[in-house]
Amino acid sequence: MEGKKHMNVTMTINGKKRSFETDPRTLLMDLLRANGYKSIKKGCGEGSCGACAVIIDGRPKNSCLLFAAQCEGAAITTTEGLGTPDNPHPLQSAFVKHGATQCGYCNPGSLIAAKALLDRNPHPTESDVREALDGNLCRCTGYVKRIEAVMDVASGGKKA
Amino acid sequence: MKKVVKSAAKPARTAKPVKTAVKSAVKIVKPVKLTGPAGKTSVKIVKPAVRAVKAMSAAKKPTVVKTVESVVKPVKTTAVRSVKAVKPVVAVKAAKAAKAIKPLKSAKVKKAVKPLTPAKQVVKPAKASVKPILAAKPVKVAKPVTKPVAKPTKAEKPAFMAPAPKVIIKKASPIPEPVFEFDRPDTFNVVNHSREKLDGYGLVCGIQKYTGDYDMPDTLQIKMLTSPHAHARIKSIDTSAAKKAPGVVGVYTWKDVPRIARTTAGQGYPEPSPYDTFILDNKVRFVGDRVAIVAAETIEAAAEACKLIKVEYEVLPAIFDPEKAMDKGAPVIHDEPEARMPIPTFFDAKHNHCAHVDTKFGDIKKAYKDADVVLERKYYPHYAQHCPIEPHICLSYLDENDRLTLRVSTQVPFHSRRITAQTLGIPIKRIRVIKPRIGGGFGTKQEVLLEDVCGFVTLKTRRPARWELTREEEFVSSRTRHPMVVTIKSGVKKNGTITGISMKILSNTGAYGSHALTVMSNCGSKVLPLYKTNCIEFIGDTVYTNLPVGGAYRGYGATQAAFAMECQMDEMAAAIGMNPLDFRKMNHIKEGEGSPIFKALGEGREGVEMKIGSCGLPKCIEIGAKEIGWKEKQGKHGYGPKRRGIGMCILMQGSSIPEIDMGSVFIKMNDDGSFNMMLGATDLGTGSDTILAQIAAETIGCDHSDIVVYSSDTDFTPFDTGAYASSTTYLSGGAVIRAAEQIRDQIKAVAASMLNEPVETLTIEDRFVWGKNPKGKLSFAQICRFAMYEYNQFQIAAIGSHVTHASPPPFSAHFAEVEVDIETGEVKLIKYVAAVDCGTAINPQLADGQTQGGALNGISFALTEEYIFDEKGRMLNPNFRNYKIFSTVDLPELKTFLVPTYEPTGPYGAKSVSEICINGPLPAIGNAIRDAIGVRLTRPPFTAEKVLKALKDKAAGKHE
Amino acid sequence: MLKNLTQFYRPATVEEACALLAAKDRRNAVLAGGTHVAAVNDTTIEGLVDLGALNLSYIRRTEEGYAIGAMTPVQDIFKSSMLVGPAGQLLREASGKIGSTLLRHAITAGGNLMALFPWSDLPPVLLALDAQALCRRGVPKRTVSVKNLIETGPRHYMDQGEILVELQVPEFGLGTGVAFHKFSKTSNDFAMITVAVRITMQGETVKEARIALNAVCKKAQRRPEAEKELENMVPTPERIAAAAAAAARDLDMTTDFRASREYREEVLPVFVRRCIDEALHQALS
Repeated sequence: MEGKKHMNVTMTINGKKRSFETDPRTLLMDLLRANGYKSIKKGCGEGSCGACAVIIDGRPKNSCLLFAAQCEGAAITTTEGLGTPDNPHPLQSAFVKHGATQCGYCNPGSLIAAKALLDRNPHPTESDVREALDGNLCRCTGYVKRIEAVMDVASGGKKA
Repeated sequence: MKKVVKSAAKPARTAKPVKTAVKSAVKIVKPVKLTGPAGKTSVKIVKPAVRAVKAMSAAKKPTVVKTVESVVKPVKTTAVRSVKAVKPVVAVKAAKAAKAIKPLKSAKVKKAVKPLTPAKQVVKPAKASVKPILAAKPVKVAKPVTKPVAKPTKAEKPAFMAPAPKVIIKKASPIPEPVFEFDRPDTFNVVNHSREKLDGYGLVCGIQKYTGDYDMPDTLQIKMLTSPHAHARIKSIDTSAAKKAPGVVGVYTWKDVPRIARTTAGQGYPEPSPYDTFILDNKVRFVGDRVAIVAAETIEAAAEACKLIKVEYEVLPAIFDPEKAMDKGAPVIHDEPEARMPIPTFFDAKHNHCAHVDTKFGDIKKAYKDADVVLERKYYPHYAQHCPIEPHICLSYLDENDRLTLRVSTQVPFHSRRITAQTLGIPIKRIRVIKPRIGGGFGTKQEVLLEDVCGFVTLKTRRPARWELTREEEFVSSRTRHPMVVTIKSGVKKNGTITGISMKILSNTGAYGSHALTVMSNCGSKVLPLYKTNCIEFIGDTVYTNLPVGGAYRGYGATQAAFAMECQMDEMAAAIGMNPLDFRKMNHIKEGEGSPIFKALGEGREGVEMKIGSCGLPKCIEIGAKEIGWKEKQGKHGYGPKRRGIGMCILMQGSSIPEIDMGSVFIKMNDDGSFNMMLGATDLGTGSDTILAQIAAETIGCDHSDIVVYSSDTDFTPFDTGAYASSTTYLSGGAVIRAAEQIRDQIKAVAASMLNEPVETLTIEDRFVWGKNPKGKLSFAQICRFAMYEYNQFQIAAIGSHVTHASPPPFSAHFAEVEVDIETGEVKLIKYVAAVDCGTAINPQLADGQTQGGALNGISFALTEEYIFDEKGRMLNPNFRNYKIFSTVDLPELKTFLVPTYEPTGPYGAKSVSEICINGPLPAIGNAIRDAIGVRLTRPPFTAEKVLKALKDKAAGKHE
Repeated sequence: MLKNLTQFYRPATVEEACALLAAKDRRNAVLAGGTHVAAVNDTTIEGLVDLGALNLSYIRRTEEGYAIGAMTPVQDIFKSSMLVGPAGQLLREASGKIGSTLLRHAITAGGNLMALFPWSDLPPVLLALDAQALCRRGVPKRTVSVKNLIETGPRHYMDQGEILVELQVPEFGLGTGVAFHKFSKTSNDFAMITVAVRITMQGETVKEARIALNAVCKKAQRRPEAEKELENMVPTPERIAAAAAAAARDLDMTTDFRASREYREEVLPVFVRRCIDEALHQALS
C-alpha cells in the first residue's frame, strides 16, 4: 500500500543539505514533518488554510500541495529556520510584541508568508501585507495584530 | 427544580467585616474606599448566593459546612483589609515564640511549628490530631494543620519543653470559605498591563508542541467508518475482509465495545446533558455518525480497510426539520432504553424532545394589551462550525504503570478523564489526561469526542493510538453551533417603555444531545436580562434531528438569541419613531440593577440572583457611536446602485457558572525566587496561562515571568472545570489569588523571622520584602533558600480553590457600516466597531485580541458561513474551499475599544471577555442592512442571493 | 490521493515530456503547479510528469504582444511590470484574483488554462484577448487559438502527448479598453460569476467586442450573440443593455450551492453591463 520508497530526494532545508528516501506519492508536508520539521502544521490538506506554508526557492507555497519529489534540489525555509527564542527573526519578535499570536497554530505558515513578502518587497503597504497573508487562515486573532506586526517590521526598514 | 436553601450554619457569609472577634487584639485598619478607573466607589454588595443544589442524585448529600469556633476566625468574605490583620497576630506570636525557643546552636530541635499557612489541601487534612499546645512553644496557627505533628519522643525533647497543659483549640474547617470579593489595590503593577505572552516565542518559533507533534514508536493510526445514512439500523457488519487487509491490527464494531450511555459534553458532574451516546451503537443517527473503528499501522491502510467493511443497513425515515421533530409519527431518533438525563430535568426522547425550560414573570398578555405596538417575528440563526485550524486530535498510550495516558487537544481535561473512565468502565485513577498546546477550540473541544476510541484501542492492543480528524470529519462529525428558530414577541409604548418580552426557542441539537439544554437556557439567561421590563416570558425547547450534532460554541446560545433580540429592538424603535441608539440607552440594564432572569435560568438548573456590579455599557455605546459616525451617517444612504447603512447592537454575556464550577491552583516557590504554578485551567490559545501568571504575580509581588506555568495535566494540576463559560479569568483567576495570597503570606512570615520584625510592618515590592529598617530587605531568592535549606525548613507552597457566586456580565456595543449593491444583493462590510466592558482587562492586548478574533468570527458567520445539506441530510460543503471564513483581504476596517470598569467580585476587577464579541455581528449587520435598504433579513447568512430576493419581495409587496 | 502513483519523472526536454505523456503502457499525467493533482483522488494515474525543468517560466514582450511560458506562476503575471497595455492589465487583474498568494505562487498559467475548471480565471481573459496557444508534440509545434483549445478540450491534446508550452497574447494600443469581474463570496472563494470584456473602438463605433464568461457555465466561453449587439455599432446604453441581456440568454446556466440558476440569470447581465461600461470608459479615454 505505502509503496516501496524508491526515490531519493535531496533538498537544502534552512541552509542544511538533507537527503531523504521517499516515494512519489509522499507530500512535502508529510516528509518534512516526519523528519522533525514540526512547525509545519496540517490544517486542511487541500491548500486552503496555509498552516503548512514553506518557502521553496524563494516562493511561499502550501507544502500539502507539493510532492516531495517535485522539490529535488530545492532550497526550503521553514519557521525553524527563521529564528529561535534566543535569536528570533524580527517578524517573530513583532508577532509576540503586537499580540499577534494566540493559539499559534497558524503562526508558522503566516510568518513564512510574511517573510516571503518582505524578501521581495521590503516596504509594503498595508494592502500589500493583507494580500500577502491572504492564504493564511486564522480563527483566533481577526488578523489585525499580525498586519500591524508586519507593517512594524517593514517600516523599520531592516532587511528581513 | 426544588430549591434547597442551605441552612446558614455559619454566620460569616455576609460581606460585613467581622470586627468583634478581634477587637481587643488587633488594630483595625479602616477599610479604604478606593476610587478606581471607573471613577466611582465600586458597588460592593453581592447578595449571598442561594447555593443551588449541586446534585439531585441520592448519592450526594448537601454538604454542611461545619463551623468551628476558634480564637481567630479567618473570614475572607470582605474586601476589608482588617480581616487580613487577623493573621499577623498569630504570626507575630509565633515569630516571637520561635525566637523565644530558638535553640542553642548545637541542638537542632524538631519544632512543632508548622508552616503558617492555611489548609494545604493537597495533603490529607489532619484527623483530630491537634496536639496539646505548650505555653512556651510557638502557638499553633488556628488553621487546620495538614500534617500530623511529629510527636517529639521523650528522648528528643529538650529540657525546657515542659509538658503543656491541655488546651483544645477547635480547628477551622479545612473547606475553604466562600469569597465574594477580592482586595482592590491602589495600583496595578502587573495586571492591566499588556505583558508578553509567556509561550509567545515558543509559538512563533514553531517550538511549542501540539498533540500531533508528538511521535511515539509503534503508534496505531485510527480511522472511523462513518454512516452514509441519516437514520438507519445496522443489521449486520462483516469486518472479515477488513481485518485481513494489510497493515490492519484491529477492526471493532458495536459488539466489541462496552455499551455505556454517556454524554460527550464536557460539563461538571452530573452533566446537564442526556446520556445518549455510545462508543459505537447498532444504530446510526446522522450522516457521519460512527459505524466501526479501524486501527492500522498507517492512515492509508486504515482508510483502505474501512472500504472493505461490509455493512447492511436498514434505512429508516429521517427527520431534518426541527419544527416537525416533535410531531406525532415523527421517527424516534433515540429509542434505546439507556437514553436518559442524569439530572431530573425534562427529557422526552419518544418525541425527540430533548429539553424544555420555561419561566415567566408578570402577565405577558396584559403587557401586550398595555403596549402601543406589539411586534412578533421569527429568526433563524444557522449552523456553523468553529473551524479551529487544528482539528480534533488525540494520542493515547499506556505508561510504565499501565495507566492510560491521553494526550489530547481538549478544553476540559478533567471532564475528559471522568467521562472516559465512565465510558470505558475503568477507574478514574487509571487515566491521565494531558493537554498540550491547542490549535484553537472555541467550544468544539469542550467535548470528549476522541478519547473513548483511542483509549479503547490502546487498552485492547496495548499500543499507542492516534486519531486525528480530517477537516471534513471536523465539519461533519465533531460539533457545531445549534441552529435555532427564535420567536420574539414584545410590546412597546410610544414613550419607549418595553411592556414585555417573550422569547421562544426551538433549538436543533442534531442527532445527540450534548449541550442541548444548557445552550438553549443560555439564550434566555444571557440575553433577556439586558433590557428592563416588568414582564418576561421564556420558553425553550430542544429537539433531536438526524443532522450533525450541536455542541458548545463561543457565545453558547447568546449568539443565536442576541440576533433575534437586537433585531427586535431595532424594529420596536422604528415602530415608535425612536432612534435605535436612544431606545437602547433608555432601556438597558444599569449598574446596581438586577433581573429576575438571573435567578430563574441557570445552566440546567436554577441560576443565581445577582445585581450588576459594574456596567460600562453607556460608555461603550458612546465610544462606538462616535467611531462609526452614528449621528453624521443617519439617513445618508446614497443614491445609485450602492446604498450605505449603519446598524448597532448591545450585548451582555456572563463570567463563569456560579455555585457550580470550581477551579483550583497550586503554587510552589523555587530557590531562585521563581514559582511553579500548576493549574487545571486550560489555555487553548487564549493566553490564560499568561493572564493567570499576571494575577499571581500581582498578588505575590513579582513579575509574571517569574511564574512558570504548567497547565493542564490531571496528574499534576489540581482540578479545574476547564475553558468554557467564560470562566478562566473570573473563576480560575480567583483561585490564583487565593493561592497566591497564601504564598505571599508565607513569604512575609519567613522574611519576618529572618528580619526579626513583625510581619505587619513588612511590604513586598518587586520580588523584595522590605522591612521597617531600610537595610532590612530580602530578595525572594534569599527567602526561599532560607525556607528550603536553612531554618524551620518547609516548602513555600499553597493551593487555592474558588467557586464563584455571581456571573457578572461583560457588556459590549457593536456598530456596523455596510454597503449593499441593490442590483446584485452583495453586502460589503465597510467598517465594524466593537467596544467592550470586561471590567479590568488583566492583559489589555490579549483582551483586545479576543475582541477582534471574536468579532471577525461573527462577521463571517453573518455573511458567508453556512452548512448546505442535500435532501438526505448529507453536508455538501465540508471543507474550507466551500465553507468560507474570512481572510486578511476580506477583513473590513475593524476598530475595537476596551472600556475599563471595576467588577468587585472579580480578580482585580476582571470579568470575562472571550465570548461576548462573537454575538455582535449578526444583529449589527442585520440592522445595518435594514437601515441601508429597508429589508429585515431573518435567515442568515446574508448572502447576495438572499438580499436580492428580499429586495424583490419588498418591491412586490411581500413581507417576511 | 494518487493511490497507484509509482513513478515520478522530471524530464529535461519537451520531447521527453511529450514521449512520457504519450506512453501507452501506463497512465502518465502532467504535473504543472500540482495544486490540483496533489489533493485529488485518482486511481488511474500511475506516473507524474513534472514540467518544472523545461524552462517554460517566462514573460516576454513580442512584436504582437506577450509570450508567457506555460509554467509561469500566475503570481508572476500578477506582479509583472512588463504587462502594461490593456491586455497586460486584463492578465494581471485576472491573475491576481486566483486563489491566494500561496496558491498563486504554485498555480501556472498553463495549468489554469488546461485544467479548465468553471472557476478558472485566466480562460475567459485569454478568450477576450484572442490569445493563441503554442503546443508541442515532441518537436512538432503548432499554434491554435485558445478558443479552439477550449472547445476541443485540453485532455484531447494531453492524451496524445501534446503539451501547451506558451501563451501568445496580443497587446492593443489606444482605443482598447478592458474589464474583469470575479464575483465570489470571499476573496479566495471560487467564482459564482466571472466576466472578461474587451472593447476595441474605431472612432465612435465598436470595432471588436469580446465578452467571455466562466463560472456561470461549465466551460469558459465567449458570447457571440452579445458581441454582435455591439460590433459595428455606436455603443449606446440601449445597445449595451441588449448585449448584457444577450450574454445571459441561451446559456446552460449552472445551479449549485453557491448560487442558483435564477440568481445567476438575474445578475449576470448586471456584471456584463458594468464591465462593458468600464471597458468603454477606458477605450474612449
